[in-house]
Amino acid sequence: MYRYDEFDSRLVAERIEQFSDQVARRLDGRLTEDQFKPLRLMNGVYLQLHAYMLRVAIPYGELNAARLRALADIARRYDKGYGHFTTRTNIQFNWPALVDVPHILKDLARVEMHAIQTSGNCIRNVTTDALAGIAADEVEDPRPWCELIRQWSTFHPEFTFLPRKFKIAVIGAPKDRAAMRTHDIGLEIVRDDTGALGFRLFVGGGQGRLPHIASELKSFIPAEELFAWLTATLRVYNRHGRRDNIHKARIKILVASLGLDAFRAEVEEAFAALPKAPLAVPEAEVERIKAYFAPRPYAAAPPRFAAFDRALMTDPAFARWTRNNLRPHKQPGYAAVVISLKPVGGVPGDATAEQMDRVADLAERFSFDQVRVTYEQNLLLPHVAMDDLPELHAALGRAGLAEANAGLAADIISCPGLDYCSLANARSIPVAQALSERLSDPVFQDAVGEVRINISGCINACGHHHVGHIGILGVDKQGEEFYQITLGGSPDETASIGQIVGKGLPGEAVAPAIERVLKAYLARRDAGERFIDTLRRLGADPFKEAIYEAA
Amino acid sequence: MRLLEAGERFGADLPEIGLDELAGSNAIVALRAGGETEAAPILAARERIGRLVVAFSGFKDGRGFSLAAILREGGFQGELIATGDLIPDHAPMLARCGFDAAELPVGASVEDWRRALGSFSAAYQPAADHAATVWARRGAPLKAQVEALNAELRDAPASEIVQAALTRFPGRVAVLSSFGAEAAVGLHLVAEQDASVPVLFLDTDRHFIPTLDYRDQLTERLGLTDVRSLRPVEAETHDPKGDLWRSNPDACCDLRKVKPLASVRPDFDVLITGRKRIHGGTRLRLPPFELVEGQIRVNPLANWSTDEIEAYFDANTLPRHPLTQGGYRSIGCWPCTQPSSEDEDARAGRWKGLDKTECGIHMPSRWVAEEIARRAS
Repeated sequence: MYRYDEFDSRLVAERIEQFSDQVARRLDGRLTEDQFKPLRLMNGVYLQLHAYMLRVAIPYGELNAARLRALADIARRYDKGYGHFTTRTNIQFNWPALVDVPHILKDLARVEMHAIQTSGNCIRNVTTDALAGIAADEVEDPRPWCELIRQWSTFHPEFTFLPRKFKIAVIGAPKDRAAMRTHDIGLEIVRDDTGALGFRLFVGGGQGRLPHIASELKSFIPAEELFAWLTATLRVYNRHGRRDNIHKARIKILVASLGLDAFRAEVEEAFAALPKAPLAVPEAEVERIKAYFAPRPYAAAPPRFAAFDRALMTDPAFARWTRNNLRPHKQPGYAAVVISLKPVGGVPGDATAEQMDRVADLAERFSFDQVRVTYEQNLLLPHVAMDDLPELHAALGRAGLAEANAGLAADIISCPGLDYCSLANARSIPVAQALSERLSDPVFQDAVGEVRINISGCINACGHHHVGHIGILGVDKQGEEFYQITLGGSPDETASIGQIVGKGLPGEAVAPAIERVLKAYLARRDAGERFIDTLRRLGADPFKEAIYEAA
Repeated sequence: MRLLEAGERFGADLPEIGLDELAGSNAIVALRAGGETEAAPILAARERIGRLVVAFSGFKDGRGFSLAAILREGGFQGELIATGDLIPDHAPMLARCGFDAAELPVGASVEDWRRALGSFSAAYQPAADHAATVWARRGAPLKAQVEALNAELRDAPASEIVQAALTRFPGRVAVLSSFGAEAAVGLHLVAEQDASVPVLFLDTDRHFIPTLDYRDQLTERLGLTDVRSLRPVEAETHDPKGDLWRSNPDACCDLRKVKPLASVRPDFDVLITGRKRIHGGTRLRLPPFELVEGQIRVNPLANWSTDEIEAYFDANTLPRHPLTQGGYRSIGCWPCTQPSSEDEDARAGRWKGLDKTECGIHMPSRWVAEEIARRAS
């Protein structure tokens, strides 16, 4: 894991000073609320329905025990004892007082964390694949590049007052486990024919009112030109992106209105004019950062996994959990473990302070002091030895964290919705809870297998409903909550936007309708087909019928 | 970047000269442009534009930053002045994007602007101000950092030296303590600022029992929350009879002190020690900061006298190591430590009778090897 040096620490400390000064100027009126708003947003402070919300960055999703314990401590001391992990691998605290925020930021700084640029019209926290450095299909570990981009984008003098927010994701494998194509800029690490390292550069992805899947802007940019291409792309956006209409201000709209080719021509012209030498990626810095992500001191795999095999034979709950919650690790003898934050009837992505503390303990004991946050709003222990799995499973069970539903129907992605959010039109959490209860039968879930269900409480689509295999969007019709269902979205390398199937359903009708959709899939699937495969083969009609069957 | 008070009205007074009118004239002119203005025509006429005032139309409109950056990269050398709907928090960005001056809005506080301008002492990314990036500064050798620290803090009080180490290298600092005769002073200085800093104790298995008691007593008294006892690895193999100290004290120090300390090297870039010049020997010229094999060693007590140490013990009512009663003025492992008299160096009782003054944990490995070779010859 990356560790701060004196520069990183000093800059974070200086940012806290700066923010404290801004708060003081706001309180005595030297800053108007209008002027203060973008400044507090750039430090992660939102004003929500009932209180301020603080969004803390978890850069590219990486935590260790000390950081997780610090988050638990903040949840306990400044919040109501829990935090909410988001699809962009941040954590949100829903109840801090504004006066406490500088204290919280100081607590975070002590464990090398911050809330810098987690909101506002600037470059946000960089996200990546939760299996970075682990996945066998990886070209190169994307985390050092994420850290490099984190540093490059921090307090960027030119790109801090952009037309709108700007999100970047980096993946290191052809398989996209980070919804890279839903980002303003997406980067996929690739090698060219000569073996040189570089990136496929995608641009213009985004959710919200007008969802777009990112398009490929360049099929290969050499690694050393990364900052020059990012600068050129952001500069075209900063100069020409719309500022008159907040709904049309994202880069996706600029790309769509110019057309991809014209946009590319603009970026190439901007790139040509840039001085390349100062913007060249500093090699020594890349090497310095890479050293922090060296492989862990893994133990050699034993000839057979005695403890693992024994538990597999004797404990059906353990066996089911290993089937659903383990992810392969390229190191023989190890697995990555998804800790589902989706208990039956729970709030997706929420973890209590006690749970965070327990996971911190377990990370220390079983996973080289590493924990990650995933796109699916779960946690992940990246490096667990196979024979430690039975003990880990038992310990997770004691903490209420052994839900064996990772990647299944009840592994629902959801925004906080109208229970917290001032933008929302409808509640998300109760719908997610009802759905997870409805689908709680493990036999049914296992039969259905891999399916992605996403819920957003408004068209801003924080729950990524556009790219859910099944998307649920809360809308407000004359003061009543209704839910539109979309089908066929996908967040991966075959990314697609789901299509609305028809008129919205009242909240209580959502869970039964989704269950019917999944039953329709079971009745029609060919051997080996996942839900999304069957849906793509047959089209939406049979599922649409299932949704409205009862109506 | 200069801060121009609102009354100076740089922008508004400018004649409205369009770029078209520059054609056919040789005059050097001043122009006013909105942040959205295209850069190319300005760059084409750059030789004859002595001053460009860029007006920001709203404090959330960042186009003027890119305009300035593009102009500077394109070779525009005239004066760039920012005006319009600006807030102090824009100041660092304006300066970095190549503005020479900012005209403050009516009613703005110069003081607020000045403070905002100095918000950050470093920047990661390159920009039009050509300031050395953090990346370039990181490349500067550690040696230069240590020299800079010594230049800045050579005569600073110990508490400031400790503070500099803790704040500039947070999370990377540990304290190395022998829990010996004077150890309480350094530990107290650190605990005053942060009792959670890891304290490394080399538990050689050869310590006096009172040292171990004293360790526990000080831990409790100072509220230290992270005292780590580092034990020798595979001592049974390398010292099966437990008498290596008798035949080869260097090898014993290596097994019980140097190697265990080296094993935690990756966790800490900075070690705070309690060494002092009054210890004599190799320590006579000890600076507050030194570089030992890529690790910064901080010696906050380097220039303390015996009297100062005594006074500090008294002022803070710190407990004494029980063996100091018996004339032990520097305390290591029992087989190699004896009392020393007042007319000797404090460390004279260490490896008494041997031509050995250091266990090796504070010296580069090459020095240790050379010392061993020298004594052998």
